[in-house]
Amino acid sequence: MTELYQALAQGLLIGATYGLLALGMGLVYGVSGVVNFSHGDFISLGMFMCLALYSAFAMDPYVSIIITVPLMTAIGALVYIFLIRPMVGHQFLMVVQLTLGLSLVLQNGILMVFGGEPARTPSFVESKLIILGDVVLRVPRIVAFVVSFALAIGLYIMLRSTDFGRSIRAVHQNAHAAALMGINVGRVQVLTFALGIGILALAAALLLPGTPIQPTQGLRYTVITLLVVVLGGMTNFVGIMLGGLIIGIAEAFGTIYLDGPIGLLLPYIIFVAIMLFLPKGLTWSSAR
Amino acid sequence: MLEIEDLTSGYAGVPVLRGINVKLAAGEIVGLLGANNAGKTTLINALSGMVKPISGRILFLGEDISKLTPQARVELGIVQVPEGRLVFPEMSIRENLLLGGINAHARKHRPQQMEKVIGLFPRLGERLTQSAGSLSGGEQQMLAIGRGLMAEAKLLMLDEPSLGLSPLFVQYIFEIIDKLHADGLTILLVEQNLNLTLRHAKRCYVLERGQVAVEGDAETVKNDPRTRSAYLGL
Repeated sequence: MTELYQALAQGLLIGATYGLLALGMGLVYGVSGVVNFSHGDFISLGMFMCLALYSAFAMDPYVSIIITVPLMTAIGALVYIFLIRPMVGHQFLMVVQLTLGLSLVLQNGILMVFGGEPARTPSFVESKLIILGDVVLRVPRIVAFVVSFALAIGLYIMLRSTDFGRSIRAVHQNAHAAALMGINVGRVQVLTFALGIGILALAAALLLPGTPIQPTQGLRYTVITLLVVVLGGMTNFVGIMLGGLIIGIAEAFGTIYLDGPIGLLLPYIIFVAIMLFLPKGLTWSSAR
Repeated sequence: MLEIEDLTSGYAGVPVLRGINVKLAAGEIVGLLGANNAGKTTLINALSGMVKPISGRILFLGEDISKLTPQARVELGIVQVPEGRLVFPEMSIRENLLLGGINAHARKHRPQQMEKVIGLFPRLGERLTQSAGSLSGGEQQMLAIGRGLMAEAKLLMLDEPSLGLSPLFVQYIFEIIDKLHADGLTILLVEQNLNLTLRHAKRCYVLERGQVAVEGDAETVKNDPRTRSAYLGL
């Protein structure tokens, strides 16, 4: 039983952050139809920025976000304006190809600057633990869970009840009609992409404490994010958060109950199983 | 109020409209008629800035707006109620109306404007939280017009407001249009329905293959044989 609780708790904690990663991707897909295959490499970039700030100023990752979030948001805006926007409206595969290329550029850029050795960025919470009965939880994971959910709720409120949020949803539902309302569709697309990358900078800092990082890890995060987004029905907010939790729990069960490769495969097996029965993902809502 | 001077415009540099001249005085209700594919929707999209001009000018209140973005034109009060209504289906009536008034100019007066719109369409006011996608076609048309009014339109361009509506709703929508006209709003009414438009618009333009084939007051247009041929494509 202890193992079960441990796996559930661990899975839920990491799953919330997976959900947050996927929300950024889902938002961007919703307003621009772009699936960013360099998503995970931007997480990587965020993590290595934290490492650089630690090496230079002994800055804790939780403090680094003051710098990394605005910086990554700006990078996101520039990438969208100069690289992605010229491609939008052409073949979908061209954008995929572009973001895949970007992924390789980021990966090798990081490799050039930081080298290929796995690195760690210490944080003051890194080794702290909370013990609930027989379940041992790492404090950084709890922080990540709480902050991810708070951010998801914040995003939800922003989408529901601010003009910017309503603009995002309007562009998603009908870009032509949105333009007729006087919404600058291009601007909404840039800002949404920038926001998506900015969220990754935060997520990077949340995932970092206690996790060794290496330049090639980006693809793993991209794949996890894609699984979660597809599971959540691409743009369904609640579906995506739920998808994050499911993939997180599947991963935890895989590592705790199964050995080696099969354990690592479990999230993918669960994903395929769910998609077989719910091809549209976890979108049960009647509001289509 | 609006002057279109020798406008040629189209998609990807291929002209759909050729040498269009149209004038609207303030407070006027003018009909824009024509068969399918005559260029009616392209013309109001050119006025909205969704289609770029190739040559010619569009003057609004004496100012050349042909280079302005769609956003800037909405802020000036040039507002389109698009064909097919295009309400945001997964949003509530209230959110649709709020989006209608999202431009920088109208944003400040949204609460007052919303009261006016609800006064005009009490049926929308009764179900502000209902999603727009669940409304009937007629109700969606009310919402689309209400959303257009939220933008504080000076020139309201209605694209096929009668399309797909029951006769009862068509009558109701046109009563509303008459009411808006009586309140002094300038209206450009794009319609396929010839007789309906001639009953409500004082002046009309008939488009045929991207050019103005007939223009004049309703009676003249009605009796001009070219109107009939423009419709039948002869």
